[in-house]
Amino acid sequence: MSTAPPVARAYDALRPKILQRLLEIRATLDQSLARMDEATARSQIGAVLDHIGNFITTGDLGLHRAFLHTFLAMRAAEAQSPAQVLAMLVAIGDTAAQVSQEESGGTSPALGSAAPGSSVPTSGHGSELTLMLTRVTASTARAVNDLIAEELERRLTQWSDLHTKEGKGLPPS
Amino acid sequence: MVVDPPRGLYVVLDGMGGANAGDIASQTARDAIRDFVAKRRLTMEPKALLEAAIQYGSAAVWNAAQQARERHGMGTTVVACLVVDAKRALIAHVGDSRAYLLRHGRLQSLTRDHTIVEELIDRGILAPEEADRHPYKNVLSRNLGAKPETRVDMFDLELRPGDRLLLCSDGLYGYASTEAMQYLLGSGDPPETVARDLIDLALRGGGGDNISTIVIEAPQPAPSSTQVVRTTGATAWWQRRARFLQVAKDRGITKNPICRGLPPEEALDLVAASLCQAIFHDLEKSTGVNVWTFAQNVAGGWFERGGEWSAVRGLMDILAMSSRTVVEEIRVADAQLGFLLDVAVSRALVVAELALGGLLAERLRQVDGDLIQLHTAMQETIEASQAELSDSGFIEQATIPFMRPDRPVTSPGVSVELVGAIEKTLTIARARTSPRAELVKQILTSLETIATDASPNFASAVLAARELYGHRTTDDTSIMPLFDALDAARIITASSVHQTSVPDALRAKVLRAISSAHQRLVSAVTGLVLEAVAPYSDRLKEAQQRTSDLRDKVARAERKRAELERKFATTIDQSQPWDKRGVTEW
Repeated sequence: MSTAPPVARAYDALRPKILQRLLEIRATLDQSLARMDEATARSQIGAVLDHIGNFITTGDLGLHRAFLHTFLAMRAAEAQSPAQVLAMLVAIGDTAAQVSQEESGGTSPALGSAAPGSSVPTSGHGSELTLMLTRVTASTARAVNDLIAEELERRLTQWSDLHTKEGKGLPPS
Repeated sequence: MVVDPPRGLYVVLDGMGGANAGDIASQTARDAIRDFVAKRRLTMEPKALLEAAIQYGSAAVWNAAQQARERHGMGTTVVACLVVDAKRALIAHVGDSRAYLLRHGRLQSLTRDHTIVEELIDRGILAPEEADRHPYKNVLSRNLGAKPETRVDMFDLELRPGDRLLLCSDGLYGYASTEAMQYLLGSGDPPETVARDLIDLALRGGGGDNISTIVIEAPQPAPSSTQVVRTTGATAWWQRRARFLQVAKDRGITKNPICRGLPPEEALDLVAASLCQAIFHDLEKSTGVNVWTFAQNVAGGWFERGGEWSAVRGLMDILAMSSRTVVEEIRVADAQLGFLLDVAVSRALVVAELALGGLLAERLRQVDGDLIQLHTAMQETIEASQAELSDSGFIEQATIPFMRPDRPVTSPGVSVELVGAIEKTLTIARARTSPRAELVKQILTSLETIATDASPNFASAVLAARELYGHRTTDDTSIMPLFDALDAARIITASSVHQTSVPDALRAKVLRAISSAHQRLVSAVTGLVLEAVAPYSDRLKEAQQRTSDLRDKVARAERKRAELERKFATTIDQSQPWDKRGVTEW
């Protein structure tokens, strides 16, 4: 994390462009975002981008998990599946990395979403930011899956309890 | 010929005249043009330079012809190219030596021969189809040396990356078809090889020894990052597959529960080698499908056997760390390639996680559906009095997925020095807050409490959140001011940190502590909001389940109706005379 402060500054400088790009393509990110008016979508996406900035600055994985936990709960209360939430978070991270790569002199070499015709990026904070954003996305995906798995385990325990009680003719408390 | 890449000068000449006069003419013009350009390349404007050089060459040949009787009438054709920069070239020609351009695989002639026949066609005296049969078809209307000065045709050419220019004498195009020349130029072979192949082609077509060709290639575009990853990157990755397997083995992949029961080599081959290969193919084709399939197969098979998530997580972590080790080693050897691979391989790991997330979410959905069904079934079988009890019991449980505000958090510890700095920062923040913004001030106080709390859980955040939340209804006018105030507090504290006079390292810790406290507070407040809407969420889920059941019933009814209509139509149709059948509309 030795490069975090300059990379964090580079991220802050790029944040408006990333937000703008995300707002433009929000219909492709997530259906619920597509239905929102721009101001609401701006605030939701902005919250995720703020958090990414915090994570780049602090590198605190615990804090990262806490944010994702809350985010998943909020989306679950809106009846969004965790797979959709994961896809949306990854899409936001990918877009941020792509904007960063474009700004640093090339386009994303990401699998499946690469744009041809660009030159190899030069070194510097822009390129480091691209890598950092890709890694943040990887950490996000990993943490979200762990949270889904924990929730699944909890639900299975709940199910098992209910099943036992049903067998004994007890109420499901 | 002149081939002078440093000056960007390329010239093909084809002399004419008895004895050795043709050779003398072309050599004289060649030397004159080359020397003229060499002396003035940096001082003259390119277009004027090239034209003047050719005129100088023409004068030199004419002068030489005047010095000996046997050289009278000698001359030479010329086609010259002066590459100005990567995007611009100048073409000049006199006579029937030609310049061709190969662009996007298509070959086109850039010059028109200076022959009497061509002049007649230009003036409309001769039809183009008569040109081949005309007795003067090879007689030049212009050359260097016939007069001290000549008329030079010149034009600018905008170069595009990958363009190929061919300069040649009639010894080439007279004996080689345009299609064959196009094929060789577009072969992708180096320009020198292409030039040799073109001469061979003309010789095989019956050409003599006066075949001159120069092939010039415009600079290729810098390879895109995608191209680098697909070619060099994929190869570098594949070359290190043995290293990848070794690292995975060292990290204990064969001891993972998923691999247990298999011989170590087989486990390595089935799991680690498969991922290595999947990444290679995805790098090569710029897709993510192979890694996705790999993750789905491994985890899907494991879950079907009743396997636990922790084994999948352990396996993926080993594979991710092994790939990072390999990429780091590539990065040491080649920083730029390593960087690109780092991004691409990290992305591949994201794709794997996406596949795993899909499987987990599907299992969660199924279990959730089972839970609702189980609960509904139990509700129907128990007494009304017991049902009331059970209803409250079910609601008391956290039914919205992921809602657990009592979860543990990491705490880096709080020193006395840090506490002092946090207090200083929040004092500045309070001073900058409007006196009327009571809620923001209350949040700043809460942040101080949470940021200076060293306990490893959400207790202080939940307590502060409950105080802030108070009694609110769950609508926009009640909830939004709270979140707006939380946002305002975040902005004020972030800027106050920079105004606190403490060392930079301590300031970074303060920022981290307050950011962490803010996030915990927001998280706890959100938890409270979710608690408030939990009963509605339960009802929503039950309603969704019922809607789904009703949709199934509607679909079944629709199918039945369609079947009945079809039978009815057939019955009616068969009762019609033959000529009316098949026209009944429904």
